[in-house]
Amino acid sequence: MSIRDCALKSAAFSKLKEFYDHREDGIKAARKKGTKVIAELGCDVPDELLLAGGLMPVRIYADPDRELVQTNKYLEFSFDPIVRAQFEKIIDGTYGDLVDAMVVSNSTDVIIRIYLYLREMHRVEPEKNIPEVEFIDWLFTRNLLYQQRNEFLLGLFQETVERWAGRKISDEEIIEAAKVCNADKAALRKIGELRHGKEVRINGSEALVIIGSAFFMDRKEHTKLVEEVAKEAASWPVIDAPRVFFTGSNQESTDLYDKIEASGVVIVGEDHDWGDRFYDRDFNLDYTVRRALVDCYMLREFSSKKAFTSQRVAALNREVEKTAADGVIFYMNEYEEAASWDYPPQKKSLEAAGKKTLYFAKMKWPFKDSEDISAKLDAFANDLKGGR
Amino acid sequence: MAEETKKPEGSRSGAVKRLNATATASAYQKEWFAGLKKRVEAGEPFGYLNADVPMEVLRAMDIPFVVNQWWAAICGAKRMTKKYFGLLRDAGYRDDLCSYCATAFAESLDPDDKNFDEEGKPMGPWGGLPDPTVAITRLTCDCQGKIFEQFSANHGASFYAMENTVARKVPLTWKDKIEYDWEDFYDTDRIDEAVGELRQMIRFLEQETGKMFDMNKLEHVMNLINEQESYYKKTRDLIAYCHPVPVTVVDTINAVMQAQWQRGTEWGRDHAKSLYEEVKALADKGVAAVPNEKYRLMWLGRGIWHDFSFYQSFEEKYGAVFMWSMYLAMGADAYIRYHVEEDPLRALAARYIGMEDFLHMPPWNSQWYLDQIEQNDIDGVVYMIPGNCMQAVEGSYFIQKAIEDAGVPVLKFEADPVDPRKWSAENMRGFVNEFIETKVIPNKEKKNK
Repeated sequence: MSIRDCALKSAAFSKLKEFYDHREDGIKAARKKGTKVIAELGCDVPDELLLAGGLMPVRIYADPDRELVQTNKYLEFSFDPIVRAQFEKIIDGTYGDLVDAMVVSNSTDVIIRIYLYLREMHRVEPEKNIPEVEFIDWLFTRNLLYQQRNEFLLGLFQETVERWAGRKISDEEIIEAAKVCNADKAALRKIGELRHGKEVRINGSEALVIIGSAFFMDRKEHTKLVEEVAKEAASWPVIDAPRVFFTGSNQESTDLYDKIEASGVVIVGEDHDWGDRFYDRDFNLDYTVRRALVDCYMLREFSSKKAFTSQRVAALNREVEKTAADGVIFYMNEYEEAASWDYPPQKKSLEAAGKKTLYFAKMKWPFKDSEDISAKLDAFANDLKGGR
Repeated sequence: MAEETKKPEGSRSGAVKRLNATATASAYQKEWFAGLKKRVEAGEPFGYLNADVPMEVLRAMDIPFVVNQWWAAICGAKRMTKKYFGLLRDAGYRDDLCSYCATAFAESLDPDDKNFDEEGKPMGPWGGLPDPTVAITRLTCDCQGKIFEQFSANHGASFYAMENTVARKVPLTWKDKIEYDWEDFYDTDRIDEAVGELRQMIRFLEQETGKMFDMNKLEHVMNLINEQESYYKKTRDLIAYCHPVPVTVVDTINAVMQAQWQRGTEWGRDHAKSLYEEVKALADKGVAAVPNEKYRLMWLGRGIWHDFSFYQSFEEKYGAVFMWSMYLAMGADAYIRYHVEEDPLRALAARYIGMEDFLHMPPWNSQWYLDQIEQNDIDGVVYMIPGNCMQAVEGSYFIQKAIEDAGVPVLKFEADPVDPRKWSAENMRGFVNEFIETKVIPNKEKKNK
């Protein structure tokens, strides 16, 4: 089961899919209109600040077909393949040509290193066409000291955004931008309900397109289209299949979801940053601006990278319960090690609650189908169906 | 003529160690560990710390502690790694991750850790690790917190995590100056935050152990450390200027690393002094560690704990001597912080936050290595990068580039400091042989022309 005809026949969904499939078109169109575009590496860059400055945030993504001509020279063995592919596009001039600047957020240790390397490349190889790089040194451990430091750091980031914007940014502008982002999240939550409510009407691949298109287009237009899809999808056929929650590596394309869902299950939720986690928490309009920004990004559901194992066990249990998943697929690319430490306790906890699990580790990226993967997925799907 | 060589009793490394200070440190560590176990058995609190945690606080509070990386090195030297990583696999974990940091967690899965075999010998290294009261790590990579939290749970210890911040200031030259003007080398807000973290950790320790932190004791500890590290500086400088060198990394790594975990004690200070005096005596007598010294090699990366003889494999054939490692030089250049009395916590903050910058962030590290290559008259650099460790990722391209641009050849390879399963002694020696023959020797001949 990949993207179904009912979705493809939807004009709103097709428009979202255009942005999702042709990720640079929206960027080029925005720049043509004079809008500055800021690329984000990491999922914790406050879009609200960029939007308030009249800038367009876009997500850096990997090109699975591009040869890593330069990357292997710079990056050690332990950088995961998606980050390697993203890095290639950053240092080969692609993003230098495409965007005005980029921001790295402290969302995983791997991309902190990427920031340090890019900073050093600017110093020792200034001739390279690499965008200006800013870094947000978030601290995600839940503690007042870190919360207050995050507020300070966002102040520094705001100064940079103001320089990019060429003007000061007022609290009122940030609040207006936050309302735009909140509206988008609200629309996406309607999609979420159609994924994991009592009846499943949107599959995982369709959801990835709906969510991921937000990273490459105007946010208000995205909201409008998502609202339309939500209305239409309410009458799309119900998907009668075992419900699976996906945890693990970011999925920047639908390839893996297509494969998993072809085995006869439906992915009703995920905890990676190209899926449900994007719209997890609103900017709280009752808080002061800086605190609301920190609250929104610091206190989202725990990421698989920046959380302790006990937090990840509890988070996955919550997500599985919320999405009423029958089983969980753990899927980690090679060199994405952190979540591997969470897996045994998570598995134990899930199985104690009667949930079935399937584990893939050290997986190659880009995804390559194999008989082994097919056999495991089919067996898992059959196992889940046996309980229905 | 080299001094009479010594191989410590029970050593399985095959490496020949020349210094009394090395043997003394090893013997003291065993004695100290036995004493620590007795204290723990008598009900005293005990801390288990990652290497980058500001252990000075526990020292000042008289809370005995063991350092994760030191303990991993002990487990590695005792050849326990294979067993431990088998236990990880059996428990559903991957057995190929984070070997340096996860060894003790793997050990915590061993039901025999504190047991004795049929001959009455302890089955765990040095009788096994006592259960800590607290386990503290810094979040310097994504895996640290996860491993330490589970380690804590297995031991029934209270888990504590400190955050890690990224430097915005990146000075190119800092050596020597940073000891005095440390405030200028770090972002003020970073130091402020680190002081806040220290205060929180102190409160945690006070609550967990019932012991009170005393600023006067920290000042004393910090001053002892400054003295200890000053001896390392003198030792490093002395070795650097000796041609041939009186000692090699096989002597200095163990002598320094073990004593470094005792920093802030009179013993640590005195041991560093004795190391300096012993090396100086050798230098004064004109003793050569490798009488036919021709090529001076720098070792970049963590020590190969399971095969220390590796470092000596190129002495006889080529006169190539590994005479530099970070273990002595770090002590010399990265730890000293003067003006302690003005604010001991702030001085400590300006030490511990800098460790990540110094070790893993270009240009902090690359420029320091360049400085050390020049000071130590290095002919070639052998650079080990752990394949399964993001924490050890440190900009190897930039380091290699800086060194090669300075005209010094670099051999870079992947290996594991504690897991012998990933180490082929023959292959590794072959790589270095080839490197010496094809890069180091021709490069030096070219320079000498």
